[in-house]
Order: sequence, then C-alpha cells, then structure tokens
Amino acid sequence: MQQPATVCTPLVMSYLSLVKPLSHLREEQEHPDEIVLGSVGVSFRRGAVSEISGRASSGKTGSTLVLLAQLTAAGEICAVVDATGGFDPSTAAQAGVELANLLWIRCGGDVERSFLSADHLVQAKGFGAIWLNLSGLSMQKLRLVPRTYWYRYRTRIKETPTIFVVTSSEPLAGSAANRSLEMSRENAAWSGTGSFKLLREFHLKIASRKHYYEPPIYAKAEFDHTEN
Amino acid sequence: MPKLFVCITVDDVSAARRFLLAAAREFSFAIEIIEDGIVFDASGLERLVGGPESVARRVQDSLDALGVAGRIGLADTADAAMLLARGGKNKTTVNSPQNFASLPLGGLDIERDTLNVLSDLGVANIGELLAIPRDELSQRYGRDFDRVIKRIEQRGERLLTPNIRESRVSWSFDLDQPVEDFEQLIFILNHGLERLFARVANYGKSSDRIDISLRLENRKWRRYEIKASFPTLERGFWLKLIDLRVSLEPPEAAIAAVEAIAHFTKPRPDQRGLYAVSRPEPESLLLTAGKLKKLVGTHDVGVPVLLNERLALPFRLDADALPVGKEKREQNSPRPVIAFHYFRPAHRAEVELCGRKIVHVRTREFSGSVVECGGVWRAASKWWEASGWRTQEWDVEVENAGVYRLALANGEWSIVGEYD
Repeated sequence: MQQPATVCTPLVMSYLSLVKPLSHLREEQEHPDEIVLGSVGVSFRRGAVSEISGRASSGKTGSTLVLLAQLTAAGEICAVVDATGGFDPSTAAQAGVELANLLWIRCGGDVERSFLSADHLVQAKGFGAIWLNLSGLSMQKLRLVPRTYWYRYRTRIKETPTIFVVTSSEPLAGSAANRSLEMSRENAAWSGTGSFKLLREFHLKIASRKHYYEPPIYAKAEFDHTEN
Repeated sequence: MPKLFVCITVDDVSAARRFLLAAAREFSFAIEIIEDGIVFDASGLERLVGGPESVARRVQDSLDALGVAGRIGLADTADAAMLLARGGKNKTTVNSPQNFASLPLGGLDIERDTLNVLSDLGVANIGELLAIPRDELSQRYGRDFDRVIKRIEQRGERLLTPNIRESRVSWSFDLDQPVEDFEQLIFILNHGLERLFARVANYGKSSDRIDISLRLENRKWRRYEIKASFPTLERGFWLKLIDLRVSLEPPEAAIAAVEAIAHFTKPRPDQRGLYAVSRPEPESLLLTAGKLKKLVGTHDVGVPVLLNERLALPFRLDADALPVGKEKREQNSPRPVIAFHYFRPAHRAEVELCGRKIVHVRTREFSGSVVECGGVWRAASKWWEASGWRTQEWDVEVENAGVYRLALANGEWSIVGEYD
C-alpha cells in the first residue's frame, strides 16, 4: 500500500540534508581531486606536488604531456617552466595539448631562475598544472637546491586546483611529493628493415616510489609520424 | 526642469576645436560639434552657477581664459541657441522675445529664392516673419516650410547629438626636482591615475591600454605602451604593471615630468560561468607574466605557436600573447606519444661508422653502441635554399642510454635532442 506523501516528506528531507548540494556535486565532477590518465594508468592529485623521474627516453615527457593535454583540452591554463629551453611544442601538439592554453617560460639552463619562475606561478594560483621540467640540468646543480623549496611549493599549492609536476632524471622532491613515479624504458619498437627503419613505440614501466607494494604499471607511447 | 542650451560659434572651428571642447567640458558632457562651433546642454546649472545670464558670463570668462573669440547664444532649445549665436548683435546673446525677434532670416535654412521674395516684401527678421499668418506661409511655400515655422516659434525638435568621439584622456605632472628612481613617482602616478580613471568612468568606459611618457632631464622623452589583455580601472593593478614595465627598461636619465594617457574601451562583463574551469584571474596572470619577464627576459615568456614550415625548430614563442583558456570542442582521451626534448645547445658527438652504418656514438654525457638506427632524413620547406638541405638527421637508439636524434651538418656530428 502506498504511503501518503505527507508522512514521507519529513523523513526524505532529513536524509536529503545529509546529501551534498547539487552545485557541490557538479563542482566536484568538474574539478575532481584526482586527474586519472586512463591511457597511462596513473593519477595526479590536485593541490599536491608530483614528480616523475627517469633516465633518458624513459617517457617522462610524453606522460606529462598527456596530463597537460587532458587539462588544456578542458580549457584549463597550464604552465611549463622549461629549465633548459628543450620543450618541443610540436610533439606537445601531437599529444593533444592545446597550445593556446599553455604559458611557456624558458629559463635558459639557469637553475635559480627555473625555481623562482615556478615560485611566481604557484603564487598566481588557478593554473591547472605547473610543469617544472628540469630534464637536461645537471643533477650536481639540482642537488644544491634547498629542500625547503619543495615544501614551499607544497604549502603554496595546497587547497588550490593546481597539479605541480616535476620531471628530472632523478627524484628530487623527497617527502614533499605526494606522488613520485619512476619511469624506465623496457624497450623501443622499430619497424622497417635496413636503413628504412622508423621508431614506433616505447614500452614503458612506471613504478611508484611512494607505494612500495603497488605493482609497476606497463604502458606504451607511440610515435606520431603523421606530421613528420 | 527648464532646459538650457549654449552655442558658441567661431570663425575657424578646426583651429579652436580643442579650446571649445575644453570650455564646453567645464559645463557639460552632452556636447555636439557643429560646422561653425559647438553646442552643449547646460541644463541644471541654476544652483551651481545661476540663471542663463550667469551661465553666459561664466562661458564668456572661460573663453577669455582660453583666448578664444567666439559668439555665444543661450536658449531653451538647441536650435534657438544656434540662431542666437549666429545672428546675435552682441558677443553674448541670451534668449528673450526682443533678441530672438531681431534675428535675421539668413540662419533659418530658407531657400535663396524664398529669401529674396521675403526681402522684397520687406520681411527682414524673425519678428516680421512671425507676424505673417502661419497657414498662409504653409500654403505658399509648402509643407517643408513647417520646419522653419517650428524654429521661429521655438518649437524646434532638434535633439542634441553628442558627437565627440573621445578615445583617450590624459594627465601630466611636472616635477619640481628630477627623480632618478621611477618608484619614487608611484605615489604621484597613483594620484594621476585616480583622476584619469574617474574621467574614463564618467564616459562609461574602461581602459586596456595606458601610455606612460617620461620627460627626462636630458630633454628626451621615454615612452612606454602598457597593454592589458582585458579592460580594467583598478589602480593597484595598473601601478604594478607600469612599475614592472618601467623596471624592465628603465629610463637612461632622471625623470623631470610624467604624462599618462588612458585609452578607452568597453568595460568587461564581470560575470563568469558558475561551473567554469578554474583559471588564474586575468590580473594575476598578467602580473605573473610581467614578473616572469623581468626574471627570465621579455622574449622568453609567452605562448608556443607552431609554424607551418619544415624547419629545424618549427615553432616560436609568442611573447605578446597570454594563455586564453580555450576549450577544445572534441575532447578525446589523450594517448601518450613519444615526445621530443631538445638539447640546448646540441651535444657534440663523435660517431664511428662501419661503411655507411652508424655503429657507435660518443658524447660527453653518454657513450654506447648503436642498437637501432633510422634515417637518413632531410627536411626543409624552403627547397630552393641549399642551406636547408645540408643537415642530415638520424634517429639512433644507443645501448644503455636513450633514443636520440643525431645530426650531421658541415661535417660535424651532434645530438639535437632525445625522444622521451
């Protein structure tokens, strides 16, 4: 037998008060705390420092570009602190990055300028992601950077929608990083024979340095020959 | 409330335009430039200035101060004020039945033939024309003459059409003593911007560009053009932006005078989408870009732009642009690609060849046997230029190292960058 609506309403209303308002749900849907990169199999937390380290050709640049592509496609503004000036917008565009939403800062190989630039960016607030690309800088110089810088970044971006990503050949941020991924190249796949060979794929291994019991993730990055 | 219009006529409008505008702006914002002078609405000045006679005196004083010789007419309608200014016997004519009736017919836009007929009939001024029955005039000269009748009866329907298209306002200040450091001027500039922006706001406009001109002690001028990507009248923001810009290219001598010009633009809408993605505030983004330019250089901060050419570096950095927050229509799930990272400068390399095959690569950073090799590639969109074809490139996978782009140009081997 159907209950009268008058009896049901107060009970329903009391439960509804426990449910989040619709606007909050929409907002969380638009700005989830974690950005999951389905194609790579990793996630990045907003308002936290994440680092990706790896030796040459380990796929750290390609993986970071996937993150930038996802954010800039949604209209978010991201920034690249390009420590050595090695950033290649062509491959970024191939990865799907909306270049019009990207602020590019070339630091000419200067460690101090790179860190100060990142500092200015975290103070500005509102960036979807700030990528501090330290690839190509000498580790000897980078180890001289005080650890306090990383904690400063962590504190500054806390409770903001920004994902702070650092890429370098070795891990640097230590415990200031919420997520630390170590990437390596399992092998590179080539097609063709003789001198007519084309680089096709990188088979990558991504290991988390923070969650030791987590099994490594295997992913692949493809070479886009359409524009080359 | 009774209306009051003031008309000033001069012999040479083009020469006196600036002074006429300055005089008119002391009384009104509703100003129309006409072929022989200026008309403005001075209604509502009774409490501030007084009656029409007092207003006439103030306008005359203002013209005298500016050194302009003009004829002034004041009336309840714009038409009557113009007729009085053009035909009045005195320098200043306030509307009264006697003054208006004595005005000649020349200023009424009547056809020459009609004027001659009226003259032959002994009709020489508006008072005499008003004495003729209106119906007679309409029947004799047609419906078009009704317009003239309305004017002489001071029922003119002519509306004042403000046609001053100001696009900027300026402020300047001469210093008693030259100052070396621009930051010492910030306080004075703040005061100047306050007055400047109040004037911009009076026009219902905003500004996205301010020009700062500094007169230096060596009598040279230094000019700075400061543009924002959005219109704003927020003084603090503009001061920071001006300070950043001047500190990037400081003047070579002490500053003796400062001038600021604010260019008009439409105000921006404040409302943003409720569920819009988070982006840095435009002010914050612009200031951050300014700070970064000060830190790393003006040409090293901006937005990447791809070039539709096959070059060694097929892109450039647009230092004048800022990210816009554009949404992509199609949002496919991005897939990882093999990205490229340039080495700046390129690493010099020593290469061992076995026949035409690259077998070993050695640089200061790494050394190893070549496991796989693709190439040789040559790429240049300017095929007619020989220099573009001199560079040969290979993709090489080096054992215990990475996958690199190897180049040979002018007999020298180098590693251009790595695939990552």
